[in-house]
Amino acid sequence: MKPISVDLIDTVTPIAQERVRQARRLPHLRYADLRLEVTEAKGAGAENGTPKFSGDDYGFALGVRVLAGERMIAPGYVGQVLGTADVADLDRIMREAIERAYRRAMVNGERKADAREKYGALGAALADTHLHPIPALQDTVAAVYRVDPRTVELAEMVRYATDVSRQVAAVDGRVKYNYISTLTELSRELFVSTEGACIDQSFALTQGTCSVVTVHGEVSQDLYDAIGHQRGWEILLDGATELPLTFPAFRDFAQGLAREGVELAAAPVLPTSDGDVVVVTDPHYNTLLSHEIIGHPVELDRALKMETAYAGRSWLLGGLSDHQIGRRVASPLVTAYSDPALPGFGHYKYDHEGTPGRRVVHIDKGIFRGFMNSRQTAAIFGGEPNGHWKATDASLVPLIRMSNTVFDAGARAPEDIVKEVDRGYYVAGHRTPSIAESRENFRISARRVYEIRNGELGRLYRDGGIAADSRDYLVNVDAVGSDFRVYPIPNCGKGQPMQTKRLGNGGPTMRTRARVIGG
Amino acid sequence: MKTVGELARAAEAALALIKSRPDVREAEVFTSANSALLTRLNYTSHIPCNGVEEPKSTESDGIGIQAVFESERGALIGFGSEPSDLTPAGAERALGKARKAAVADPEFVSLPAPAFAPRVLTDYHDPRVMELDDASLVDTGWRITGGALRTFMASGRLAALAGDDEALRRLGLILGGDVTILRERIAIASTAMPRPQTDETSLITAFATAMVESQGAKGSGASTGTRLDHFTDEAGVDAAQNAIGAIGGQRVPSGTYTVVFGRQPVADLLNNIVIPSCTVGAFYSSSTPFLGKLGRAVASPLLSLYDHGAMPGLMGSKGITCEGLPTGRTDLIKRGVLVGCLSNWYETQRLLRDPAIAEKLGAAAPEAQAALVPRNGFRFGAGGGRQFDSPPGVAASNVVVEGAEPVNLDELLRRVGNGLYIGRIWYTYPINGMRAGDFTCTVVGDSYIIRDGRIAAPIKANALRINDNIATFLNNVAGVTKDVKGTIVWAADEVVYAPEIAVTSVHVDEIAGFMEELD
Repeated sequence: MKPISVDLIDTVTPIAQERVRQARRLPHLRYADLRLEVTEAKGAGAENGTPKFSGDDYGFALGVRVLAGERMIAPGYVGQVLGTADVADLDRIMREAIERAYRRAMVNGERKADAREKYGALGAALADTHLHPIPALQDTVAAVYRVDPRTVELAEMVRYATDVSRQVAAVDGRVKYNYISTLTELSRELFVSTEGACIDQSFALTQGTCSVVTVHGEVSQDLYDAIGHQRGWEILLDGATELPLTFPAFRDFAQGLAREGVELAAAPVLPTSDGDVVVVTDPHYNTLLSHEIIGHPVELDRALKMETAYAGRSWLLGGLSDHQIGRRVASPLVTAYSDPALPGFGHYKYDHEGTPGRRVVHIDKGIFRGFMNSRQTAAIFGGEPNGHWKATDASLVPLIRMSNTVFDAGARAPEDIVKEVDRGYYVAGHRTPSIAESRENFRISARRVYEIRNGELGRLYRDGGIAADSRDYLVNVDAVGSDFRVYPIPNCGKGQPMQTKRLGNGGPTMRTRARVIGG
Repeated sequence: MKTVGELARAAEAALALIKSRPDVREAEVFTSANSALLTRLNYTSHIPCNGVEEPKSTESDGIGIQAVFESERGALIGFGSEPSDLTPAGAERALGKARKAAVADPEFVSLPAPAFAPRVLTDYHDPRVMELDDASLVDTGWRITGGALRTFMASGRLAALAGDDEALRRLGLILGGDVTILRERIAIASTAMPRPQTDETSLITAFATAMVESQGAKGSGASTGTRLDHFTDEAGVDAAQNAIGAIGGQRVPSGTYTVVFGRQPVADLLNNIVIPSCTVGAFYSSSTPFLGKLGRAVASPLLSLYDHGAMPGLMGSKGITCEGLPTGRTDLIKRGVLVGCLSNWYETQRLLRDPAIAEKLGAAAPEAQAALVPRNGFRFGAGGGRQFDSPPGVAASNVVVEGAEPVNLDELLRRVGNGLYIGRIWYTYPINGMRAGDFTCTVVGDSYIIRDGRIAAPIKANALRINDNIATFLNNVAGVTKDVKGTIVWAADEVVYAPEIAVTSVHVDEIAGFMEELD
């Protein structure tokens, strides 16, 4: 049997198109789409300078959505992990998956119609499922890379990861533990729909992650960070210089993290302030901040309460006519947007329902403007679909996910933003977030916090960060730097079952007021 | 879905094939079939909705092989898998991947050897769950939704607030959550344990969150079980009742309080901080707050904590681990003293041989052995399932919390006198790394002010953040209730059988005051 490769998509595309065309004949079927995804991935890991694992494998998955119903229209879904042995039988597998999703949608539609009749005024909220119209596009998108992930020798990846791990361990005797992981992959996604869409997108992705634990007396500092891009293996060896996405070669990056851990383990704990103080945050810290207090609350599925039990709601929307659009939610210096055209993990041309991804401005000079959406949520709330419905793999139901959600650049030199501060704190590098349910408040720890005295960075503190109400924090921004950067976020969790997804976030240096909080 | 017989025959045949390869010194074959059926619920009275948003499923089966190969470089250990093919051809491909991926891990000792303790749990699944059809899947979701809607409609309090039926919708009645049905089948055979062992598990969980959003009132409901005939609308009814009961929530000023942690907060704190701190990997990497403390007090003498994977009727029970070893009871904290760790075979073997074991664990190898029994080697995937495509990690199963001298809730409230009952927290993380033990989270519902030994008034949802250290939670225990209930938290592997725990001197901060201006 021929091993599975991304080339399989060439073979199965006409079969998938025919299967979806045939689905139109099912009674009361209003819409169906089918996604197939093939990934060829290689990975290697090392711990404390010794090899731990490697792997060279493929992933192959199928997902189907059907909207159908006799009395009311409702959704039904099916997802499946496939393998080499399924290739010969793919036509039947796709037909059965469509039929199963169709059965679920039909039963769901009937039950919804029953409930609508049974529950009086409350039943009236149960509505047909509609998708906002989009053009049915046919397109092929090529992956971008210099070193093809398929050509990288697995043994070389093991040697490289082990070597990096060994060098991290050698940084200092206080580095007690490190784990290095590398991944390079090529994936190809096919989307076909009963509306006639047929989109074939390929992606290269390479990532390096480093965990390090440094120990000084009774203190352990465990730090974790990742670099990555939608490119080939070259980005680990050479780093990235594609502004606004820049990072060093992975070896330097990992050693730097270890050195930082050594320095931090010997630093004092940040004292907690009684009230708000001046804080200057660097682009890496603002990467997680933009993720948590901009990106998540502007996901329209969350805002429409679809994540109430899990990832939470959004303070930006109470109801269809009760929201913050057009209102001031930040300083006039703050603009924030999501843009799939930016480079990095959040880059793509089409989302997973065939909508072209486009920039959506969330905050324009402090005024809230709108949400990331999907076709279904756009049909409910209004507005054009902007292409943010994405799944972690084809077997999972997509959710509204960030592409690259960022604070926009300002005009100030970052060093001037610090120089102007008499007393305050410089908060650098993001660590761990904890965000309130509707994203109205946050506490996010930083890797490093420096005292600022008379415009100069002073003492370094560990185990500290910022706590604030989101709106107050944004409204108090009084300086935004020109040093705009985008960083990869390798592990954003959302949905049930939870889907962990890669995406991009970023921003420039910013200054505002907040409480600093230590351990 | 493949039967356990098919999985066992495939494991046996694959092992025979592997044994015929002269370069294989040891091998372990793991076959599994998983099905996750899930209906995600989304009812919003003030926004058009589906009621049951996503009736969906993901399914997979396949074979995973871990093998030790003799080579010129010495022993190499590798893992490979193949989805959707349990034939010898599939085994051949998985073995090929394992061979290609094999690395020289100097800490590898051997694959799991037979345990002395016998397996105690067999035939504990419900065959009806294993055969659930599409209509029944959809019906489980509508049962929970219907329970909530009936409760909302029957509420005199809501009727009085609304005035008429149409206005009831404008109260913003929300039901979110899911019904998840997991079906797992595995077989395992190895050169050390050649007779195939099988296991079959089914479980049903319902998790619901309801809101009266206009009143900022939120409540939760949940049910867990292993049998379909035990499944009711309880979760939806409870969530709606609790949301109605939370109307009129009050703000609580920042300060230090005696807090009764309800079952969900206990489960959340355990899941995110205490259980990871008790895994052997956290000791190996020097990143646990319990570093070097085996046999020493780490909690109040009132508190005991154990994992028990073989207790009949509990939701997280399994007959065998994903390493083919019997599940069972592992005491972690006994009357406040750290006595054990969660481990798998690999982690136990390497920590027992670690020259720094006394420093890391607090005991030398002979004494440590009893604390490191590998009863928790599982291959859980995101969203559940025992995955053939990964080697075993370490995960908890059923975590049971017990208190010395437990009392009923009324008595506990009487003892507390004045304080807070916190019933649901969110986004709980060790904000400054695991070893520091600092944690933070927000209070999102099901919470009340305790005055004069009684529940006096609901606490407003999303208006309070806890900022404290896990040592406070573990050491300042003022009392524990008698009744434990199976409690699940989002994206957790384990089920926590949690009581309510009263803790003194817990620091909370009032947050998000600006939200009142938006109302």
